Order: sequence, then structure tokens, then C-alpha cells
Amino acid sequence: MDRAQIVHQNFLDRVAAGQLPAGASPRSGLAPETAVAVYRAQVLSRALDLTSRAMQKAGEGFYTIGSSGHEGMAAVACALRADDMAFLHYRDAAFQIARADQVPGQRIAWDMLLSFACSSEDPTSGGRHKVLGSKALMIPPQTSTIASHLPKAVGAAYSVGAARRHRPEHQVLADDSIVMCSFGDASANHSTAQGAINTAGWTSVQSIPLPLLFVCEDNGIGISTKTPTGWIEASMAGRPGIKYFKTDGLDLYEAYATALEAAEYVRTRRKPAFLHLRTVRLYGHAGADVPTTYLAKAEVEADEANDPLLHSVRLLAEAGALEPQEALKIYNDTCDRVERIRTEAVTRPHLKTGADVAASLIPPARACAPTNGVPPEKRAETFGSDMRAMDEPQPMSRLINWALTDLMLEHGEIVMMGEDVGRKGGVYGVTQKLHQRFGPDRMIDTLLDEQSILGLAIGMGHNGFLPMPEIQFLAYLHNAEDQIRGEAATLPFFSNGQFANPMVLRIAGLGYQKGFGGHFHNDNSLAVLRDIPGIVIACPSDGAEAAMMMREAVRLAREEQRVVVFVEPIALYPMRDLHEAKDGGWMRSYPAPDQRIALGDVGVDGDGTDLAIVTYGNGRYLSTQAKAELESKGIKTRIIDLRWLAPLPAEALLEATKGCKNVLIVDECRTTGSQSEGLMALFTENGVTSLARHAAGDCFIATGPAYAATLPSKDSILAAALDLTGGAK
Amino acid sequence: MTRKAVLICPGRGTYNKPELGYLHRHHGDKAALFAGFDAQRTAAGQEEVTALDGATRFSVSKYSRGDIASPLIYAASLADAQSLASDIEVVAVTGNSMGWYIALAAAGALSAEDGFTVVNTMGTLMQEQLIGGQLVYPFAGDDWQNDPARKAELLAIVAEIDARAGHDLALSIDLGGMLVLAGNEAGLSAFEAAVPVVEERFPMRLANHAAFHTALQAPVAAEGRKRLAAGMFTQPKVPLIDGRGHVWWPGATDTQALWDYTLGHQVVEPYDFTRAVQNAALEFAPDLFIVTGPGTTLGGAVAQSLVHTGWQGMSGKADFKAQQAKAPSLISMGDDAQRAIVTG
Repeated sequence: MDRAQIVHQNFLDRVAAGQLPAGASPRSGLAPETAVAVYRAQVLSRALDLTSRAMQKAGEGFYTIGSSGHEGMAAVACALRADDMAFLHYRDAAFQIARADQVPGQRIAWDMLLSFACSSEDPTSGGRHKVLGSKALMIPPQTSTIASHLPKAVGAAYSVGAARRHRPEHQVLADDSIVMCSFGDASANHSTAQGAINTAGWTSVQSIPLPLLFVCEDNGIGISTKTPTGWIEASMAGRPGIKYFKTDGLDLYEAYATALEAAEYVRTRRKPAFLHLRTVRLYGHAGADVPTTYLAKAEVEADEANDPLLHSVRLLAEAGALEPQEALKIYNDTCDRVERIRTEAVTRPHLKTGADVAASLIPPARACAPTNGVPPEKRAETFGSDMRAMDEPQPMSRLINWALTDLMLEHGEIVMMGEDVGRKGGVYGVTQKLHQRFGPDRMIDTLLDEQSILGLAIGMGHNGFLPMPEIQFLAYLHNAEDQIRGEAATLPFFSNGQFANPMVLRIAGLGYQKGFGGHFHNDNSLAVLRDIPGIVIACPSDGAEAAMMMREAVRLAREEQRVVVFVEPIALYPMRDLHEAKDGGWMRSYPAPDQRIALGDVGVDGDGTDLAIVTYGNGRYLSTQAKAELESKGIKTRIIDLRWLAPLPAEALLEATKGCKNVLIVDECRTTGSQSEGLMALFTENGVTSLARHAAGDCFIATGPAYAATLPSKDSILAAALDLTGGAK
Repeated sequence: MTRKAVLICPGRGTYNKPELGYLHRHHGDKAALFAGFDAQRTAAGQEEVTALDGATRFSVSKYSRGDIASPLIYAASLADAQSLASDIEVVAVTGNSMGWYIALAAAGALSAEDGFTVVNTMGTLMQEQLIGGQLVYPFAGDDWQNDPARKAELLAIVAEIDARAGHDLALSIDLGGMLVLAGNEAGLSAFEAAVPVVEERFPMRLANHAAFHTALQAPVAAEGRKRLAAGMFTQPKVPLIDGRGHVWWPGATDTQALWDYTLGHQVVEPYDFTRAVQNAALEFAPDLFIVTGPGTTLGGAVAQSLVHTGWQGMSGKADFKAQQAKAPSLISMGDDAQRAIVTG
């Protein structure tokens, strides 16, 4: 017999025989009907676990990671308000069930069974994934398997206080709500968890409001690896700025009382707390996991003897809330009810096609109130002396700065966050003066942790803000990229488009800084971004276009709820000249604030048909230099700037290269994994035969004189072009 | 092996001429139950329920009054609920509109007598105040197909009319494929003028009905809260599904909240009977949906609600009819032939 059946039979036998585990007497504070409600949620959670396993055996269900042993979370749910946003651990079915009872009209058993069956009618993910989550219950879904949901919980908690000062149009959380985030003891070791907990403390000690309740469900083991005894308490009890609470998740009265105390602390003090909840894990990690292969049978049985449902039966009886035979009837009735619902749920439809599955990659657009624009005097006051400079051509960094100023003036929900974006105004001065113009609460100088920066943005996006996080250098994205890949990009997918976390992520990157910084400041790979479904990647190559693309990026995020990554070529920030010193050939005038470059619009410079150079970023700058010489050799050339690297503007590129005899792809990123691969495939599949690419070498960037040795240059582009076209005409 | 059933109690408009004598025909064994109701009526100076039921003449103007219809329907429905065959296990109880008060009693959250007090008090108050009226209008297709776009269109008309000066109009009940709207005379008339006549009867006014389940009933709710004590409400013995689709569980019910809902939200906010039925189906998966008498008119709304949620693969009226012919799962106790299926 498998352990699930053993635990089930134990419950029936022990309750019938009155053999209930010993424990403390019930604490006061929990009304009898609430205690029974908690027990009912616990029982339903258990019944669903049992049924999910039966469904899998019958080929009707596809998920068996259960919540058995963690049913104490039902008591935690009752200690919170139903509008407190909750980012849940995957073992928290009991929490969601208990919360569903607080919101009228729910059909939680049905919904959970639909999710086991991966039916397209599953109201959470539309049949894409078995996730806990619900729009009505304020539970954004995620998989939570690697604790990557903690950073955004910090962000969401931060947003509660921020929204008091700047009301976002699409605000979700009430001013007095708190954010809850749960995870297991093993997951607490993930760097994402450690980073988020650290960020919460770092924020709290500065007296910045952060109403956040971490709940660590400590069952003492992660799959087969035990957590050292006392580890969670030893490592979490003394964190600066975070108050530690400890409770017993096997005791619904104790868990409720402590959770209530912790929640009240968080709600009234606006400070984070860490609730350490003792649990047990019954019947292994998942359906296929047999715990007795790595644990002594006695250890497994000891946990089973501490089944929280048995404790609940004892406590409810001692409190006079429910007789054991009534508790047993509730258990049997619930198991029977869930089985009956199952027979109907498994008949419901599933997703079929790739298009069905992909339908929620991109969230739906949302209605935004039209803005009346910014009064000219307000704009003049904000820009100050910069107004006078607007008549003159400027380098890219300044034009981006002005575009950001105009956007922040127009949209009060824009908030920027990053390392040195505020007081310093960015490493390259791109965000200069924004701190003075818009204040520290909209220009947030964060701690040095990229996961936390992105988590802050994602969390604030959950509460209606339009975050514009900055990653200081492209190479710094890599230790945090899962916040985009695994969290931000997947939220619409997992929630069937019901939740979104719009943002414009600015990243300063790419190579060609003359001798400065080496690889970590000149990283030239976007591979980590370009395969993420649903996101937009923008990369401007001159200042005016950067300003117009930034406006489009903000529109996409604000109105269409998209995640946009805006890669700013560092080497072009200060670039003034094109062909020779002082020619000012790469400076541009600031385009009027209503001008945008639409997503998918490519840039076309020239109408030559001998050669089309398809490129972006620094590649466009260098290709433009090369173009003059190519033209002088009689090779009529056009330069096509991708501008939008993802989704690849395929139709526009084919149209722009139509009639060209040769197509040369110039890519400053590495040969392997760069855009050039997709472009080669695109043109080849569409019958372009005279095609070549010139990309950077598969190498890191050197510091010093050889900084550009692995990168395309004007001369190497020229050579590649001549090679492809057969030389001068 | 028991047959699991959801019990559904009907609301106003179900005791008509054919139902005259219902208590006497079906419930000769429940004299004690009715005696208690009659005593309350007599004490209040009102005509006895058994006398009303035993009258030889039926008049719409009299029997559609709140202080007459409500206690009669309550008595008939509750008596039906107590007449089920022994192999029927009621797994949940719900009701439509005034049927909520009956459901409270049928589920054991109110005693039979207290339930009668509640229904008689509220029926009398509504008749005394008779604020506004109700009409019915369908939005579903001929084959009962759900038409959310048409529904949204109609509700937009309702909102537009309600915004006009001197006009009150709001959704009163989500009733399967029908909308029950409520408002003042100006609001109701404006709606009648704004939509085409359907099936030669809709929009159909409901005689002697007030603007139930809208803000217009706030004075009735306030008076009801004064007269009816929260102490009457107890834990239900079986799960009870309200007009939001919310389940009140035995042992887990906050009885103060139940009183508050019954004499608050339930009176002044729209009643979502559709969701109540759908949640009954999806959360309890019963073998049978038993609509108590009197009358049989609620069956259609139950069936439409089930069709709209795709219950057991049904997508329209034809599917429902085919399934009923094969193995009836919707039983109207007001229909003598169907009644026999569940009374044994």
C-alpha cells in the first residue's frame, strides 16, 4: 500500500478508535465555527491530494505534488484578509481553499480538480499548468519551485506604501493590506530567497514601509535531503529588521493565533515578519517519490503519526467545537464529494493545439485613462535649463534622459529602480536630474542585488505601477535573468492573462567602450533574452530613435501590459561624431514628445539594391561608416536597423530587403546564440541566396587596447561586404 | 446506496390556481407543522395558511400578495422538503429569491417555525411597502444557449435607463436564461419601451412583486433587521448555498454573518440564482436536482443554469430533454409524475 493510503487508513482507524496524537491544549482566540472552517479546508485539501493520485493512476490527472502535512496553512489563511496578496508555496492548497471560503461564490473543489485534470476550463491557468492561484482570491500564480517568487513579494509589499504617495491608475492592493509569501525550509536556501529576505531587512532597517509576511513551512526535508536540525530558526531568528515568529502548523489553534499576531505586527508596524511554521511532509515529495527509499521507516511513520488532521480532530474535540465522529463524517463526506466531482471534472476539455497553449503568452491590453498631456509651463519648469538645449543636436544619453523625463511627467505610475539610478543619475548619467525632478520614491536607489531589482519591479507591476528597472550592465543581468524568464514572462501564461507585470527593463550593454571595463562592462550576448516567449527586446542605435522607441516601450507596457527589455548600447550614449572628429554626425535633435517608433518598424537608411546590411545597435553605427566607402566603390547600399530584436520583425525585414542582390547581417553579439542566427534562418527560409553574416567571435571581451578585437569593425564590415558582393563595381 | 440530491426551493410566483389545495393534497400528514404556522398567522391577525390553501376560489390579486404567497409557498416547499424518500440524501440546499428563506429552514439553519416567522415578516413588509416592481426578460437563445453578449447588451440598457433622472432599474435576479429586472415604474416602463417583445410575453411584469434584491428595498431590510433576531439562526445541518453561490457549511457557519447576509445583501443586492445552481452542481455533483413545489416554473431556470455551465456535457435544450428522457436528473415535485420519483 502506498503511503497516501496508509495515512488515509490511519486517519479513519485512529479517529474511530480515539487514538489521537498528544499535544498542547487549544489556545483561545479561534471561534468554534472558524476552527471547523479551518478543519474543513484541511480535509478538502487532503481529499484533493488523494484524488489527484487516483486521477494520475487513471490517466486523468497530471499533478501529484500534494499539500498533505501542510494543512496548517488553512489557519494562516484565516489569520489574513482575503485581499492580502499571497504568493504561495506549491504545498498550500489548504491556504487557497480556506481563503476561497472567505470570498463569496467560489467553487474551489471544482476549480482544483479542473487544474489536476489540466482542463482548459481551469480558471487559473486555462489548462496550461497546475498552479495555485486565483484572481478573485488575490493569489498570483507561479510555480514557486525554486523560491523565485520571494523577490517579487518584496516588490509587491513595497508597492503598498508607494501607492499611498503616488496612486497608480490600476492599483490593486488596499493601503492597509499586507503581502504574504510562503515557501519551504529547503527552498529557503535558494539565493533568490536569501536575497529577498536580505532585501526585506535592508529596507526595513531604513524604516521604509514593507508590510510583508514571509511564511516558511518547515517540514524538515527537501525531496530527500534533510534540513539540519534548527537551521531555519538559527538562520532566520536574528535577521535585522525582520521580526521572527515561530509556531506549530500541526496545531490549528496555535498556528492561527501566531499567524494573527504576526499579521497584525506586519499590518500595524508596516514591517516584515518571518513566520516559521512547523509542518510534516506526508507521503513523499510527489507521487513518484517513495520516501522510505531514503528515510528510515520509523521516521516516515513518526511524521504520519503527527498527521495534522489527527491533531485537528483532537483539538476541536478538546475545544468543544466538533466531536470526533462529526469530524470523521466530514472527512468521509468530503472524500466522497471530491470523488463525485472528479467524475465530472475529468470530462472537461483540454488545450489541443500549440496556438491554444500560446494564447496567453501575451497579456490582454488594458484600458488606460487618456492623459491630458503635460501643461507647457509644468514641462518647462521640470526641464529647467535643458529646455534651451533642446534646439541643439544631442548625444543619445541626453535624449533618453529627456524622453524619460517627459514620460515620467506624463505617467505618474512610472517608477525607476536600480543601482545608482537616483542620486548619482546612473553610471553614464542617463537618469541624471530625474531624482531631483521626481523624488526618491520614484527614482529608487536599490541595494546591489539584481534579483531584488527585478523582483521590486515585478511586484510593483502587480499593484498597477509601471516599473522601469535598470540593470547597470548587461553582464549583471545573468545572475537575475530567471526573474524575467521564470517569473515576469510566465505570469500571463500561468494566469491565462489574468495577471500581468508590465515593465520596461532598461539594460546598459554591448561592447565598444574604448578600453574600459573588459567583459563585465561590455558583455555582447543577448542570447539569454531572445528565446523568452512573449517579451519584447528593443535596441536603439541613435538618440532620436531611442527616445521614440522608449515612448513605444512605455506604451506597450502601460497599455498592453508587456514586458519590454530596452537594451541601450553604452558606446553610443556619448557618441557625437560619425566619420571624423567634430563632424557631429551621430547627434540628433530631440523628437517631439508625441512621436513614437512602433513595435516592428525597422529603420531603413538608403535605397541601394546591391547590398542590404541588416544590423542593430553599434552595428548600425559602424555599418553607416562603412556605407560611405561602399558607395564610393559603386556598391549601392542600404542599411536596415532591426530596432526590435524580439519578436523578430520578419515581414518588415523581408520587405525592407526586397530587390536587394545581397544581404549582409552584421551582429555585434557573439556568433553563437546571437540574432544573426535567427536572421540567417529567416532569409534562408525565404529564398535569399546571396547571404552572409559577420558577427562577433565566440569570445569574452578584453580590457585594454584589444577591447574590440573580437567585434565587427568598420573595416571588417567593409571587407565582409566586398567579399559578399564580389568587390568594387 | 443513496441518491444524492441538491434541494432547490422556489420563490414567489409559484403558487397559482393549480396549486390551490397543495398542502391538503400532498401533506395531510403534516398537520402539526401547519398548525404552528397557522398559530403565528392568527396571532398576527392574518388568515391561516391552511385556510388559504383550502379555499375554493383563487384570485391572482389576493394570492400574489407578499403576505399571502410567501407563507403559502414556504409551507408547501418546506413540507415537500420533508417528504423525500428515505434513500435520498440531500447534500446541499439552495433556493431562488424568497426561496432562500425556505432553504434556510430546509437546511436546518432556522427552525420550521422561525423560518415561517422570517418569511411571513419579510413577505408582509414587502407587501406593506411594495416599493417598485419586477419584470422578466430572456437573453438566452431558443435552444437555451448562453448568450453573454446579449446579456451584457441588456444590462447596458438597464444601466443607461437607471442613470436617467427619476428612473430606477437594476438587475434583480440572474435566473438561468432570463434576467429579472427591478425598479420603479419609470425604469420598468423605459425598459419595456427599449426592447422588442419576445415570445409574445416578454418583457413580462410580475404582479404584486416589488423591486426585490435592489437598493430600493433598503427600508425593508432595515425593518427586517429590527424585527428578526440573529439568535434565530443556527448552524445548518446540510450545506446551504446562497444567492451569491456561497456555501454555508455545517459547523463552520458564522450565524451572525448568516443573519447579516439574509437581511442585508440578500435583500438589497442582485440574487444570482444561476450561480447558486451551478455551484450546487459543480461543488456537490449530485445525482438529482430536486425542485420542491409548489409549481413547476423554476425547473426551466435550473435546467438553463446547468446547460450554461456545460453540466454533464449539455449544451442546449435538446441535450437536456434527451438526458431527462433517459434518466431524469431534474425533478419538480410540483409535477405529480416527477414527484413520485423522489417521494417513493
